[in-house]
Amino acid sequence: MSIKYALLGILAEKDLHGYEIKTSFDDKVGEFWSLNYGQIYSTLERLEKEDLVTHDRQAQDKRPDKKIFSITAEGRKQLEEWLAEPVSKLRALRDEFFIKLMFMDSNNPTAILELIEKQKALYLKQMNRLTQRKLALKKSAYNRHALISELLIDAGLFHSEADINWLTLCESKIKAAMTKNKLSR
Amino acid sequence: MIELKNVSKQYRQGARAVYALKDVSLSIQKGEFLSIMGASGSGKSTLLNLVGGLDQPSAGEVFINAKPLHGISDSELTLIRRRQVGFIFQFFNLLPLLTAIENVGLPLLVDGLPFTRVKPMAEAILHKIGLAARAEHRPEQLSGGEMQRVAIARALITNPAVLLADEPTGNLDSHTGEEILLLLKSLHEQGQTIIMVTHDSKAAAYGTRIITLKDGALSQDVAIGGPLA
Repeated sequence: MSIKYALLGILAEKDLHGYEIKTSFDDKVGEFWSLNYGQIYSTLERLEKEDLVTHDRQAQDKRPDKKIFSITAEGRKQLEEWLAEPVSKLRALRDEFFIKLMFMDSNNPTAILELIEKQKALYLKQMNRLTQRKLALKKSAYNRHALISELLIDAGLFHSEADINWLTLCESKIKAAMTKNKLSR
Repeated sequence: MIELKNVSKQYRQGARAVYALKDVSLSIQKGEFLSIMGASGSGKSTLLNLVGGLDQPSAGEVFINAKPLHGISDSELTLIRRRQVGFIFQFFNLLPLLTAIENVGLPLLVDGLPFTRVKPMAEAILHKIGLAARAEHRPEQLSGGEMQRVAIARALITNPAVLLADEPTGNLDSHTGEEILLLLKSLHEQGQTIIMVTHDSKAAAYGTRIITLKDGALSQDVAIGGPLA
């Protein structure tokens, strides 16, 4: 959904060819969001059909023409409108871990608790890496781009923290249920 | 540098014995920034207090720089506490009637040094952490972040072997908390050994090593670096 607007946003800064669009995207948000060329080209195709993006051909020696993409006036208008609106869709509650929890053997809560422990350790390691990146960023030159990257890293840290807190709650509730089962047997 | 060998701490609750720590062994290297996580009641503050000489183990041994903290007299323990460790707390624990610079100099004043000698040292540390302009302010005239910086300066004035931090961001908003963590990180980069107790995983992530305590025992030791899974 917002691949569309991310691409429009990139093209609003500068006309680019497909490869450069991918590089720019990776540079800006690659840490959190990976896109492949297929997704980029199919989105560009759709945007062209909607007249939000257009392209020019640039001849190359011994190679097929290069397509240089640019944003149209209508594309710019839709981007501006989208930028001014708050996001109405909340984060999807669809986590791979949740599916695992759903299908693990409920007669073996110890295995579930072990998995929770491993998952928490992994999140902590990831948080440590994000923090390292943030520290490196803070030492580099300060500019708008660095600030946006830092804020994205902060978002990653807050989300991981929420995941860890949720896992801790799972742990506690599963343990409480275990004790209760023992008592009622 | 810091060594805990089979350390247990037991309290009496009426007729019942409650273990705050159960047979914990842990060694902390010079220059490490260790984060200790765990729910409330998991024993993390007890562990910090044992390393800081605020408390003694019921069983087991604790060493700082090969010197034992167990089985020594109260006055010996007090000296180690004053000279080897610096403490910072969630609620800063500054003396309200003293100015920032007097609070910073307090550990040396208590040790018997005259204020004329302590003052330039306290000034230098306040300057280093960017609080020179606040030297003559009392705690009530400072923001939470500034109070914690003063507390950090006070902890550093004895040039301690280890800085012990008990929930240092627990009473600060996210942004101010981050500034305190950045300060701790820069002290760590200058070689300061730090042990920080926190229940905040964002704070713990600043460490070079993260351990988790559960029901008084070590349940997880995440060394940072290396592969993720």
